[in-house]
Amino acid sequence: MECYNLQRQAACLKRSLFDQGYLDEQFYQIEDLQDEASPNFTEEVVSLFFKDSARLMTNIEQAMEKNPRDFNRWDAHMQQLKGSCSSIGASRMKNECASFRNSCRDENAEGCMRSFQKLKREHGVLRQKLESYFQLLRQAGPFETATRPGGA
Amino acid sequence: MAATAEARGGDFPVGMKVLVVDDDPTCLVVLKRMLLECRYDVTTCPQATRALTMLRENRRGFDVIISDVHMPDMDGFRLLELVGLEMDLPVIMMSADSRTDIVMKGIKHGACDYLIKPVRMEELKNIWQHVVRKKFSENKDHEHSGSLDDTDRNRPTNNDNEYASSANDGGDGSWKSQKKKREKEEDEADLENGDPSSTSKKPRVVWSVELHQQFVNAVNHLGIDKAVPKKILELMNVPGLTRENVASHLQKFRLYLKRIAQHHAGIPHPFVAPASSAKVAPLGGLEFQALAASGQIPPQALAALQDELLGRPTSSLALPGRDQSSLRLAAIKGNKPHGEREIAFGQPIYKCQNNAYGAFPQSSPGVGGLPSFGAWPNNKLGTTDSPSALGNVSNSQNSNLLLHELQQQPDSLLSGTLHNIDVKPSGIVMPSQSLNVFPASEGISPNQNPLVMPSQSQGFLPSIPPSMKHEPLLASSPSNSLLGGIDMVNQASTSQPLISTHGANFPGLMNRSSNAMPSPGISNFQSGNNPYVVNQNAMGVSSRPPGVLKTESTDPLSRSYGYGGSSSVDSGLLSSQSKNPQYGLLQNPNDVTGRWSPSQDIDSYGNTIGQGHPGSSSSNYQSSNAALGKLPDQGRGRNHGFVGKGTCIPIRFAVDEVESPTNNLSHSIGSSADIVNPDIFEFSGQM
Repeated sequence: MECYNLQRQAACLKRSLFDQGYLDEQFYQIEDLQDEASPNFTEEVVSLFFKDSARLMTNIEQAMEKNPRDFNRWDAHMQQLKGSCSSIGASRMKNECASFRNSCRDENAEGCMRSFQKLKREHGVLRQKLESYFQLLRQAGPFETATRPGGA
Repeated sequence: MAATAEARGGDFPVGMKVLVVDDDPTCLVVLKRMLLECRYDVTTCPQATRALTMLRENRRGFDVIISDVHMPDMDGFRLLELVGLEMDLPVIMMSADSRTDIVMKGIKHGACDYLIKPVRMEELKNIWQHVVRKKFSENKDHEHSGSLDDTDRNRPTNNDNEYASSANDGGDGSWKSQKKKREKEEDEADLENGDPSSTSKKPRVVWSVELHQQFVNAVNHLGIDKAVPKKILELMNVPGLTRENVASHLQKFRLYLKRIAQHHAGIPHPFVAPASSAKVAPLGGLEFQALAASGQIPPQALAALQDELLGRPTSSLALPGRDQSSLRLAAIKGNKPHGEREIAFGQPIYKCQNNAYGAFPQSSPGVGGLPSFGAWPNNKLGTTDSPSALGNVSNSQNSNLLLHELQQQPDSLLSGTLHNIDVKPSGIVMPSQSLNVFPASEGISPNQNPLVMPSQSQGFLPSIPPSMKHEPLLASSPSNSLLGGIDMVNQASTSQPLISTHGANFPGLMNRSSNAMPSPGISNFQSGNNPYVVNQNAMGVSSRPPGVLKTESTDPLSRSYGYGGSSSVDSGLLSSQSKNPQYGLLQNPNDVTGRWSPSQDIDSYGNTIGQGHPGSSSSNYQSSNAALGKLPDQGRGRNHGFVGKGTCIPIRFAVDEVESPTNNLSHSIGSSADIVNPDIFEFSGQM
C-alpha cells in the first residue's frame, strides 16, 4: 500500500511535470535507457544535468556582469545551456534559453536579464520537483520506476 | 565494411565503433547510453583536441564519429574537416542549433549527417548506414576501375550481398537508396579506405606526401579535366593502390581545388600588398600547385598562394609543412582565411619521390621545394598498416607543428612549414622548384623580372636538359611588378630552376604571367616540365593560356607554361624537366590567367632554381631542395623570406644552392639575365 501510494505519487508528479511543460518527450527517452544494467540512469543524468547547468548559469551570469552587452558571448554560453536542457527534456528551461538567445539577437540587454532571471527560477523549480520525484521513486521501491504515464 | 563485417563476425552494425565528441557532459552521457543500447562500441570524449589525438593514434579504431558543433577548444566543423582529410571517416555533426545555415555549413564541410539535439534513439540506430555507405561506394569504385567514378556508383556490386545479409534489413531497396545517398555524398564521403575488395582486408590507404605528390603529378600530367582515376592510377604506378583509392582521392582533390580557388579568388597581388598576405590563406605547396593547375585560380591568387606557401614574409603562407589536416582543412573550407585549408593537399606533394617520375632525388628533403607540400607526412605510400605509420604519427608532430604554426600568423607559418618540410624530404616535393611557390616577392618587386633576362636561357642552365631550353623568358621585364616574382622565376627557370626540379613540375609554380600578360593561368604546375613555370609569359609574352603545365614539354618554354603563346618566354619555365608532372597544380590555363604577378615571388626563387637544376641531379637542385627541406638554417642566405625555416623554401634554397654549387650558373645568370642573381632574389633576405 505504502509502496503503491508512493509509486502513484511519483507517477502523478511526473505526469504533472509533463502536463505543465516542465518536461518533454526527451525525458521519456532517457527513462527508456534505464534498465537492470543501469538502474539509476535517469537520476544520474538528471543530477549531472543540474550540476553542469548550475555551472553554465554561473558563467552566463558572470559574462553578463563582466562583459556587458557582449551578446555574442552571452549567446554562446546560452547555446551550451540550451543543448544541455534539450538533452534531458527540460522543456521550460529550454524555451527560456531560446527566449534569451532571441533577446541577444535583438541586442536587448533588458530582455536578456529578464530571461535569465526566469531561467534561474525555472531551473530551481525543476530541480526541486525532480528531486522529489526521485525521492518518491526510491521510497517506492525498485519496481515500477520510470514508467510512462499510461503504465503508472 | 568488409573489414568491419569480418571483424565483427558479420554482425554489423553491432560493435561498430563510435567516437562521440561533445563538451556537454549531460549530452555525452545520454548519447553514450543510447549508443550502447544500439549495441555499438562507444567511446566518449569531451574535448575535440583530445579526440583528434585519439583518432590520429588509432585510425582504424573507429568507424564513425559524432561531434558537437560548438565546442570550446575546437570548432566542430574544423574537427570535421580534419577527420575527413586525415582519416576519411564518416562524421556526423550534432547541435541544438537547428538553423539551416549552420546545418548547411556542416554538410558543406563534409558531414555525413547533421543531428539536431536532443538526439533520439531512432536516429542513432541508423548511423551505421553512413559507415556502410562509405565503404560501399569505395568498393564500387574499386570494382569498376577504369570507368569514371560517377558512373560506378550506380552499378550494383557484389558487395551488396555482403552488406545485405548482415546489415540491411530492407533488402535491395535500401541498398539502392543508399547508393543514391552515396552519390549525394560523393564529395563528402570520399573513401580512401584501402578496402576495395569487399572481402579482402586491405590496409587503408594513407595518402602520404609522396603518394599525393605522385597523384598530383599524374593529374597534372593528364590535365585536371582529363584526369580519370584509371589513368592516374596507371601513371602513378604504385603497387597496391587501387583505382578506387585514386578515385576517392581525386574527388577530394577536386573539391579542394575548388575551395581554394574560391577562396583565393581575388587575392590581392602579393607584392602590392604584402601585408595582406596574411589574409591570404596560406596554402600548402601542393594545394597551391593544384590550384594553379586547375586553372581555377587567378594568377594573382596563385601568386598570393605561393607567397604563402613560400612563407613569404608578407603573406602568411601556409607552409607545406603543415599538418595534413590543416591543409586539408584549408582546402576544404576554402573560406577560411588561411592556412587551414589550403594545406591539406600539401601532403602528397612532398613525397613524390615516386619512382614513376623518378625525378626527385629521394634523399633530398625534397620537400624543400614546396613549402606547401610539406604538409604531407611522410607516410608511406599508400598503405598504412599501422595507425601511426602513416606518417601520421611522425607527421602529426610536424603537421601539428605546422598546423599550429600556420594558424598563427603567417610568418610563423612559414617557419612552421618549413620545419615540416624537413621532415619529409622525399624530394619530390619539388616545391622548391615550384617556382611558383615563391613568388619572387622579394626584392623582385619593382622589377621583377630580374629574371627576365632575355635570352638567358642558355646561359642559365647549363645543366638544363635540352628540353629545358627555354628561351629567356622574360626578355623584357614585363611588367615587372607582376611578374616580378614570376618572371624571375621564369627567367630563372629558364635556366633551370624550374627544370631542375627533378622533372617534376613545381607544383606551385604559378606562372606569373607577369606583366601585362594576361597570361593564362600560368599555372605553374606544369606537369613535368618546369617546375615552375608556368608562367613564362609573364613577360608580356603572349600569354597563351598557361595551361601548360604540361608535362614534358618538349618545348620547354612554350610548353610548360601553357602559354604557349610566347614562345620565347615560356621556356623559361621549366621545360627542363621533365616530364614529370609536377603538380602541384594542374594547370588549367583557363583560370590561371596571368594574374600572378604577385607570385613573382617565385621568380626570385625561380631564378635560383633555374639554375641548374635541370633534372639532373638534383644536385643542385636537389641539394637545394634538400636544403629546402632543411631550409631553416641552411645558411642560405638566400632564403628569401622564408627564412630558414628550413624546410621548404625551395626557392630560397635554390638561390643559395645555385649560387654555391654553380657559381657559374649564377654568374651566368646574373650576367645574362641578371635575374638570376641570387642577389636579386635575395632581396634582403627576406622575401
